[in-house]
Amino acid sequence: MRCILLIVIITLSFPSIGQQQKKVQFIGGARSLISVSDFSTDAGDSINPPKSSGGYALIDLGVKIRTNKHTEILGMFRIRNEYGGFWGSGVAFDVRQLYVRGVAGNVVRYHIGNIDYKLTPYTFYNHNTDILTSSHGSMAIKESVFNYESFYKENTWRQQGASANFAIQFPKLIDEIEFNGFIARLNPSNFSTIMDRLYGGGNMVITQSKNAMIGLNHVSVFDVAGTAIDSNVYSNNVSTLTYDITFGNNKYKYGIDGESGISSSELALNQENKLDDYFIHARGYFNFKKTNLGFDLGYMNNGADFRSFGAQSKRIDYNQQNNFFNRYTNDQILRPVSMYDIYNDPTLYSVGITDKVMQYNPAVNNVLPYGLSTFNRTGFYFGMNYTDSSKVIEGSAKFYSLQEVRGQGTTALKSFNYLKSDIVLNVSNLLKWKKKLKLHAGLAYQTTNRSTEFVFEEVNLTSLTLNTSFEWEVIDQLYLLGNFFILQSSGTDQLPIRNSNDVIINYSSFNVDGMESNLAGGLKFNFSEKVYLALMYESSKNNFVLDNPYQFNQMAIYYIIKF
Amino acid sequence: MKKFLTITCIGLTLLSCRKDELQNSDGPSLQDIYGPFTIINTLAASQNTVDFSAGQSVYFTCELSKTINWEMRIIGQTSGAEKIVNGTSKIIDASEFTWEGSTTNLPVFRAETCDVFLTFEGETDTLTTSVTIDQPKTNEGFVLANFETGWLLGWTSFIQSGASMDFNIKTDPSSPVGDSYYNMQGEVDWDWLVGLVNFNATAYGSPTLPLTSNPDNLYFNALIYGDSTYINSRILFQFEEDEDGDGSFNISNEDQFGYEIIIEWAGWKLVSIKYSDIIGNGNGGGIHNPDKINKVNMLHLADPLSGIAKSKLDYIIFTENEPVNL
Repeated sequence: MRCILLIVIITLSFPSIGQQQKKVQFIGGARSLISVSDFSTDAGDSINPPKSSGGYALIDLGVKIRTNKHTEILGMFRIRNEYGGFWGSGVAFDVRQLYVRGVAGNVVRYHIGNIDYKLTPYTFYNHNTDILTSSHGSMAIKESVFNYESFYKENTWRQQGASANFAIQFPKLIDEIEFNGFIARLNPSNFSTIMDRLYGGGNMVITQSKNAMIGLNHVSVFDVAGTAIDSNVYSNNVSTLTYDITFGNNKYKYGIDGESGISSSELALNQENKLDDYFIHARGYFNFKKTNLGFDLGYMNNGADFRSFGAQSKRIDYNQQNNFFNRYTNDQILRPVSMYDIYNDPTLYSVGITDKVMQYNPAVNNVLPYGLSTFNRTGFYFGMNYTDSSKVIEGSAKFYSLQEVRGQGTTALKSFNYLKSDIVLNVSNLLKWKKKLKLHAGLAYQTTNRSTEFVFEEVNLTSLTLNTSFEWEVIDQLYLLGNFFILQSSGTDQLPIRNSNDVIINYSSFNVDGMESNLAGGLKFNFSEKVYLALMYESSKNNFVLDNPYQFNQMAIYYIIKF
Repeated sequence: MKKFLTITCIGLTLLSCRKDELQNSDGPSLQDIYGPFTIINTLAASQNTVDFSAGQSVYFTCELSKTINWEMRIIGQTSGAEKIVNGTSKIIDASEFTWEGSTTNLPVFRAETCDVFLTFEGETDTLTTSVTIDQPKTNEGFVLANFETGWLLGWTSFIQSGASMDFNIKTDPSSPVGDSYYNMQGEVDWDWLVGLVNFNATAYGSPTLPLTSNPDNLYFNALIYGDSTYINSRILFQFEEDEDGDGSFNISNEDQFGYEIIIEWAGWKLVSIKYSDIIGNGNGGGIHNPDKINKVNMLHLADPLSGIAKSKLDYIIFTENEPVNL
């Protein structure tokens, strides 16, 4: 047999293979947070105490055991103690991670237990849809905390299940075919009305050469018939084709990539509400290798009935209540989830996918509330990015011009414009300082419009997110941090209200005219690359709730260790 | 290979036109929810006169500019009977409501002219029309008593000798069906029983009542009046089955089923119950045999300590398949 197939394992993300590792290794982290807050509202509040203080200390202690050179077991426990808790009160013990992974038969890599997984942006992907600008300074500290708490790693979702993958290499025609598969359980049966709901899928990626790749992807949310008395089995299937074809030479590179596919969602006994649709997403890109300047032009057409819950689940569930000053004023109104909460409260974040259309906040992101896989969007986008050779300036910008595919309540379509940009100026590189000084500015500006002959159909909503920050190393490893953040939104929109079958049954008028601002400053001292102490003070104002504006000041101390 | 992939990808992109989507929209129309309310075609009846007894029906038409919650109220000019229908639609037609002569609020409609009013939630407009009933609706079933022809030969009764006793058929406009009803009133301070009427099958010319043998398909219905100032009345209906067919009822070895109604309402009310749901003494095996009923007893009861008790009774009817639709 002249054509020899080489079946290989993929070793990139499993460092134990081929390396000398300790048989038992302790890993984990520790964090301590103390905060004091002072809350007030112009509407008057004689019910809630204006000040609160609290904090906690926690340690995540993991034991990684390598039973042999092909098998690894990890168990991680969390011990958390609220400040003020003592002798068991306020102390919580929990299992944070548990998995077994290894290589079977020197061919198939497997992972059972907690898996952090993603496939493609339209099948299984954790889009970050509520924080539109990159985080630096004190916000980077906060983002690292909730990313750690929620297991967000490079757009993966944490699942409980199993995954496996292997690859076959070929001597000619194509380089490699890689196979990936996973299965996870979304919810258990209650043995009555709720069936076991699983989520599984995988892909086959054919790499023809380093310049051409094509992949077939499929994911499915499905009920296991027979695990409950109810026989109305639900399923959501998504199949896509991904590709990336590159041309160029040593000066520049250009090519096209994208993803296209179909989806179907149905309840077996409720076929009238079955949803079938498709999407197309194609992008052309051009990069100058020498100057690190790149451009891309993309087209997307996501059908109104395209559903892919692995890619359309949001990190934030806006239906939930805050934990921090959740009611205020003498009328004890609920305080809506604000950007302050999004940056500061890890408990607001979902740690798994949700198999329904989640609510979003139009003031934050009305254009792509479910990321690139947002349904009912079509149009073009243009982007550019630049990094100079000495990394003085790192910048990126993207502009989306989209509209609905199908109108909601009218044949008139909403149109969307969205400009997002981040720029980082490394002053220390510019002035060749040894101490670091970094300035950052991020911007996200969105507009939503629908103009018709009827006033009641008109939509006009704008929102602006502005995030500026600096990090200045005043003495060795001691950084002065500063942030200024604004979210401003005004206008109206009509948001669909859906029933449990994902059918629009009514609309709610969304009227907004408010602003949230946050001014923060602090000090951060790095004891080492993985250990730091940060002291931060911030002042926030929020007037999104009509007639009930509020503001608060907060001081917090973070002590973070990773090992 | 690369050329093939490039052409395929560009081709897929070009195929992504969705011209059909531009003609469609998701969800209810915004025009229906937020648009201005106007009347495009006013309220009209499909016919001016209707004979419900002949199985005729009438429907009403109206066209509006938007979907809205509406209420149609039909009121008999003579009887004061009311039929009330609620709906949510943009067009009112036979698919929304077809009137076969039934009643929402008693008394029932008679041969009379009815005014029809159509109102809309949140709007001040009221549309009107009228329709004349040539003959009112009739109901299929076995009428045990409607008191229209007086005391039937074969009925028997026992009335206690208490105070203010008035157990008589009365004829006045307050009758819910027809012109007459049975009035029950009295104060008996030594016994729960105030008075009773025995509706014997012999009064109808046969040893048992002419009813189906299927108890799951038979409904017992009666109109009962509650007096808001005397809420102590209760009525017990007893159904005696002649199991052995000897022409008489023996409580020791034959089934008697009982349905007691505590009157806690004011005005006329229709009570209906499936015959198989009525509880029995079990002396005859406990099997419901409605075709063997040879007597229905109606007992008017009241707590002897509660003073005078008042109630009225009308239109006692057995129906098949469903409760009577007045």
